[in-house]
Amino acid sequence: MNKKLPALLLISVFVVATCGLIYELIAGTLASYLLGDSVTQFSTIIGLYLFSMGIGSWLSKYFDKNILSWFIQIEILVGLVGGFSASILFLIFESIASFRIVLYGLVSLTGILVGLEIPLLMRILQNRFEFKDLVSKVFTFDYIGALLASLIFPLLLIPYLGLVKTAYLFGILNVSVALIVCISFAKEIKAAGYLRNASIISILVLAAGFIYADKITSFSENMAFSDTIIYSKSTPYQRIVLTKKNKVLRLFLNGNLQFSSDDEYRYHEALVHPALQALPNAKEVLVLGGGDGLAVREILKYPQVSNITLVDLDHGMTSLFQSNQMLVKLNNSSLLSPKVKIINTDAFSWVKTQQKKYDFIVIDFPDPSNYAVGKLYTNSFYKVMKELLAPQGLMVVQSTSPYIAPKSFWTVNKTLESAEFKTVPYHNYVPSFGEWGYIMAMHPDHKYKKPQSYISGLRFISKGSFDLMLHFPKDMAKVETEVNKLNNQILVKYFEDEWSAIL
Amino acid sequence: MSGRQSYKTVLSSYIQRRSFLIRLGLVTGGILLDGCIKKIKSKAYDFSGTLTGPNAAAGHILRDKIAIPKPTNNRNVKVLIIGSGISGLSAARWLQKNGETDFEILELEKHTGGNSHYGANQISSYPVGAHYTTIANTDDQLLIDFFKEINVITHNEGELPYYNDYYLTFDPEERLLINGEWQEGLIPDFGVPQKDKEQIRRFLKEVEVLKHTKGKDDKYVFNIPVINSSKDRSFTQLDRISFKSYLEEKGYNSPYLLWYLNYACKDDYGQKIDKISAWAGLHYFASRRGKAANAEDNAVLTWSKGNGWLAEKMAEKLKANITTSTVCYSISEALDGKLQAWVYDTQTKQSSYIIAEKIIMATPQYVNDKLLKNLQRPNFDYKKLSYSPWLIANITVDQLPNSKGMDLCWDNVAYNTPSVGYVNATHQNISLSNKEKVLTYYLPLCDFEPTIARLAAYTRTYEQWLDIIMPELRYIHPEIDQAIKQIDLWVWGHGMISPNPDLIFGKNLEAAQKPINNKIYFAHTDLSGISIFEEAFHQGIRAAKEVLNK
Repeated sequence: MNKKLPALLLISVFVVATCGLIYELIAGTLASYLLGDSVTQFSTIIGLYLFSMGIGSWLSKYFDKNILSWFIQIEILVGLVGGFSASILFLIFESIASFRIVLYGLVSLTGILVGLEIPLLMRILQNRFEFKDLVSKVFTFDYIGALLASLIFPLLLIPYLGLVKTAYLFGILNVSVALIVCISFAKEIKAAGYLRNASIISILVLAAGFIYADKITSFSENMAFSDTIIYSKSTPYQRIVLTKKNKVLRLFLNGNLQFSSDDEYRYHEALVHPALQALPNAKEVLVLGGGDGLAVREILKYPQVSNITLVDLDHGMTSLFQSNQMLVKLNNSSLLSPKVKIINTDAFSWVKTQQKKYDFIVIDFPDPSNYAVGKLYTNSFYKVMKELLAPQGLMVVQSTSPYIAPKSFWTVNKTLESAEFKTVPYHNYVPSFGEWGYIMAMHPDHKYKKPQSYISGLRFISKGSFDLMLHFPKDMAKVETEVNKLNNQILVKYFEDEWSAIL
Repeated sequence: MSGRQSYKTVLSSYIQRRSFLIRLGLVTGGILLDGCIKKIKSKAYDFSGTLTGPNAAAGHILRDKIAIPKPTNNRNVKVLIIGSGISGLSAARWLQKNGETDFEILELEKHTGGNSHYGANQISSYPVGAHYTTIANTDDQLLIDFFKEINVITHNEGELPYYNDYYLTFDPEERLLINGEWQEGLIPDFGVPQKDKEQIRRFLKEVEVLKHTKGKDDKYVFNIPVINSSKDRSFTQLDRISFKSYLEEKGYNSPYLLWYLNYACKDDYGQKIDKISAWAGLHYFASRRGKAANAEDNAVLTWSKGNGWLAEKMAEKLKANITTSTVCYSISEALDGKLQAWVYDTQTKQSSYIIAEKIIMATPQYVNDKLLKNLQRPNFDYKKLSYSPWLIANITVDQLPNSKGMDLCWDNVAYNTPSVGYVNATHQNISLSNKEKVLTYYLPLCDFEPTIARLAAYTRTYEQWLDIIMPELRYIHPEIDQAIKQIDLWVWGHGMISPNPDLIFGKNLEAAQKPINNKIYFAHTDLSGISIFEEAFHQGIRAAKEVLNK
């Protein structure tokens, strides 16, 4: 019996070492996924982790009695903290202000607990080996464990299990060590029965986490999106998913790409500047949709604008873009500006109750891919909008791709014309979307003059580029379509046909 | 000879009556027994709701002579209108439009609207009865005028009226669950064999021709209102045979076509093709010639309140003349030739009498039979009129489960099911935000003869109704139980007149429309034989014109 036990404890060293490094790698990977800048993240996580292990080692001297029992308890605790760490970090990422505190807190806690393990183990084993043998054996197993962990983590665990399941798996292994030690040394431990039950319960809890891991972080979505999902949430209206690859953030609503941070400026500059640059006296601006605040960011570049009213159905969307550091940086805190008033309500119902006139209106709704959204592209809707547009004002409508969906694009144009708007259709290339279309609309007697120059600091729009945008080559030329109405919803049908042909 | 004859008649009527009572006893007894068993069993549904109907308490006053206090006061009015359904309101509107302001409308319910009544909950308003109408036939100037008056027609574009975009049924309009999938439109198509499709096409072509056919009197064979239809006997004789025998004669036997026609007849008349006349069956398909500048021919108009919206618009200018919660329980002629209407206020529990020069009975004939028992209506037998009973279920759901095929539409029908489907009461809502919906499910009770079905309907408890409708709802949406938050039921004992053979062009109805002594006039869809909004609208105008002319 005495021969078997030291071997068991040495295997524990091996498992404990593997688990410890895995937790560290998980924390580092998660931090670089979620916060970007992997060098900084890995460096700080490793540093903090090692430092915490040092604290753990130092603390080990305060453990005098019942060392074996303490060791088991710490194993259970490491297993639980490490096992749940990935899930906790994913779930609290939404409130990013406190995210770093929780991240570093968890890393420190895991580090301290792992730091306690080896010194305690060495003391348990001190009477069973010679000192030189003890040191040699413990550290050999420790480093072999570390090597194994660092190899299987990128090669097997991340591709096949993902972060969350890996964390739970190693949590289970960690607690299993506690359980095995507990059973094998039952006679030497006080309250062995209690510790055994605690271990079993912990293993069950972790196993449940492992099984339901998919639900926690939508592992299935990870498959559907090529990039790493760093945030996902179902609001009452839609599923918001944010992905990140290198430095590029992408936002998906119900699986449809809304923007990619590396080229969204092309879209939002085209949406805002050709019209707003031509309105030196524009004071009152209305934005419908566009809860990401990116169009508002462009609008705020004009000092003459005094009020921006943003109407977006989804509070989940606007509050995310008001609070998440990365997203706030992307929209330049536009939704926190005192000039901006956010109204989370249904656009159609809201505009029907309004009296005020707006100098500039941006309509940035999702594509007309279903009958509900299709209502926001009807002549009835545009007739109401006409009442809200100041006589000398301009309105811009995002109008899907004139290249992939020419019938859809020209239906929006035709529908605007049927509501007695004069229109100026234009388009540009947005790499992540493809060729994209916009339609500027105004009262029939308003004369729109192309801006001769633009405000400084723009990356895409210029007089020259806008001239090109106004030209429609043959493959996007105007086609005759019907007017989109509440009682025919023809646009939804065109849109479905045209996009299903390429997808 | 005659003695034997009369003996036979008496015997056969005795046997008929006896077998009727036996069947009635079996049906209602079964329901009661089932109810007792239910009481013992535990609760089977984890949602609740109400079971209501037209003011039965007030109705009872008419049927059973409960003790009514002596009238305490009286008042005078020139024209009294009994009933504030569409016919009554339409009559009143016409009087008012033509300068007659001395009139009063009596309504036994707390609200106006009759069969166009509606309900509401936190999610939406919803119909409990008539819930749509179609755009006006191009020659129906009176209806076009009314639609202009209430902004249903906003303006003209060229020759054609432009209908209010918010009232035309939004797309997508109709879908049918057939062969495991929802198809667009209600005419069976998905998975339907070629042979059947051809028969359906042949039938539709035939009714399309009939739609544009005129009789010898140069009137359209089928028109709205019915009274404007051709009297050419070669067509009116279609009213003497059942729709079923007409179809058999023409060689229509496709089960898909026959289902569709049964659906149509249940939808408009509450009965299947064997019970209604061929003329009525064809009228459904061949009488509409509506055109609009901004919609398809015969486009449908609807509101979340159903036709309650139309009734409210009609009642808007009449508010001062309407007295609700008041039952008229008897009408008689005084010695001076004036009419006396005895009324009972169900709120104050007081009765009074109204002295009127003329009365328009905008009430169904089975009610008139009670009110006018002191007066003669020669050659008219109200017992020959048959009314279809209905159950309406308003089903409040959160997110409706997804199903295969076409998305949720306004009108959603399932092939070969007892009901005529459900409409989405929130369909005309312009907001996108609400996933919760109210679905109005219509079940015509046409498996037994109306009298039995009606009494059975009055007997059933809330849970017993659910036992009837839930299997169908689960068949249509297998996961619907989780989505249901509430079901409110409404029973119409006399939902609508059933156009049985020989009703519309028969002598009985002709007699029923005759005024009594040029003092009492009649306006109700049961006098047209077809229970649709337009008929009620024109019935009211016709009666009002008769009043004004005499």
